[in-house]
Amino acid sequence: MIIVTRPDITDAELDHIRERVEAYGLRTHISRGEARVVVGCIGDEAHLSEAALRILPGVESVTPVQKPYKLAAREFAAEPSVIRVGDRAGATLGGRELVVIAGPCSVEGREMLEETARAVRAAGAGMLRGGAFKPRTSPYAFQGLGKIALRMLAEVRARTGLPVVTEVMDTRQVELVAEHADVLQVGARNMQNFALLSEVGRVQRPILLKRGLAATVRELLMAAEYVMAQGNRDVILCERGIRTYETATRNTLDVAAIPVLKAETHLPVIVDPSHAGGRADLVAPLAFAAVAAGADGLIVEVHPCPEQAVSDGDQSLTLPAFAELMRALRPFAAAAGRTLAPGEPDAVQEAA
Amino acid sequence: MTEPAEATSAEHNLKRLREEIERVDRAIVELVAERVRLGREIGAAKRAAGLPTLDPAREAAVVRRAGALAREAGLVDEEMRTLFWHLIGISRRAQVEE
Repeated sequence: MIIVTRPDITDAELDHIRERVEAYGLRTHISRGEARVVVGCIGDEAHLSEAALRILPGVESVTPVQKPYKLAAREFAAEPSVIRVGDRAGATLGGRELVVIAGPCSVEGREMLEETARAVRAAGAGMLRGGAFKPRTSPYAFQGLGKIALRMLAEVRARTGLPVVTEVMDTRQVELVAEHADVLQVGARNMQNFALLSEVGRVQRPILLKRGLAATVRELLMAAEYVMAQGNRDVILCERGIRTYETATRNTLDVAAIPVLKAETHLPVIVDPSHAGGRADLVAPLAFAAVAAGADGLIVEVHPCPEQAVSDGDQSLTLPAFAELMRALRPFAAAAGRTLAPGEPDAVQEAA
Repeated sequence: MTEPAEATSAEHNLKRLREEIERVDRAIVELVAERVRLGREIGAAKRAAGLPTLDPAREAAVVRRAGALAREAGLVDEEMRTLFWHLIGISRRAQVEE
């Protein structure tokens, strides 16, 4: 149930409304906007009387929510969520800014990571991605450098100022990854690993939640709800292509999911054009489509030498190709009413 | 550039502040332990009086009061509420355990 109040409601009036709801064993969630304050109610609503709530001082309307997700529902927030990432110089997702996250599929070494970070920052990327723990289809494939890679990511963050996002695969790794990264990624294959979702819900770090290969929009939102129910409200959703009968592309980018998600939830939505197409030449067109459809950001795989990459070389952009993508993206960002951080042409030459 | 003498003084200050934080943390843990002990006693008293252990209305009032006190202290009431729902959970589990 959603209780919408006057924007000028007093703290005491708000306390009174919340206590009335919580006295029935429910919890309340507040979202303050410029024009209104929304009190979301979570729990068994059987004993809550809409009529009794409607007459409380300050209440403007009381509406039942039929959707299975509550905290993630658009109605639960007065305004779309803007998630701040990293330190002072960090990025914000969900606002006017279009954030591009770029980096290698796997962290393969310090030099390649730093070279990539400096180049993508120079091109205007706002965050660095890099895999430390890799979920690979084959148990014999490269599994990532683990803790060593996490340390490299933290070092490169300190040197470049780029906030870092990296995947966490196991509940036992959550605290370790949270010590090193600014954003914890839950990968497509773990989207319904409910133990992992609960665990990342307990740490105070933004979560990048990728849509499962065969997950519906509703299932993605229920996964976000799992994280949020543990107290972590900073969830960034990522559309990365779903499995269809088409084999010409690795996955099929569900462009329609972007506006559907933006209407269903207040959470930021980003797109991974690298995994969606599975081919470097598809990254740019899919990125343009994503931005045109309203995405809040992109996550792109970039490698200084894709033909030598230990994983996902086929879909990784070279450093110059990424810079070209960023240039080509600007008119699309402008048309979608977004700002894209300007590149820093000299950043590559800066002393390390 | 920071002069070495200034850096030492800043480091000294940081060390002192960290010790203060540690002292406060110890006091918080002791207070939580005391709250749990009291919760257990309340659980026993409720059972002696034939009352149910769980009391959502009472919990809601406790959280409301904590939120209001937090505002008076210049803190974000929402964060204090979260902390208190957690504290209540600890006490509630201790009450039920008995």
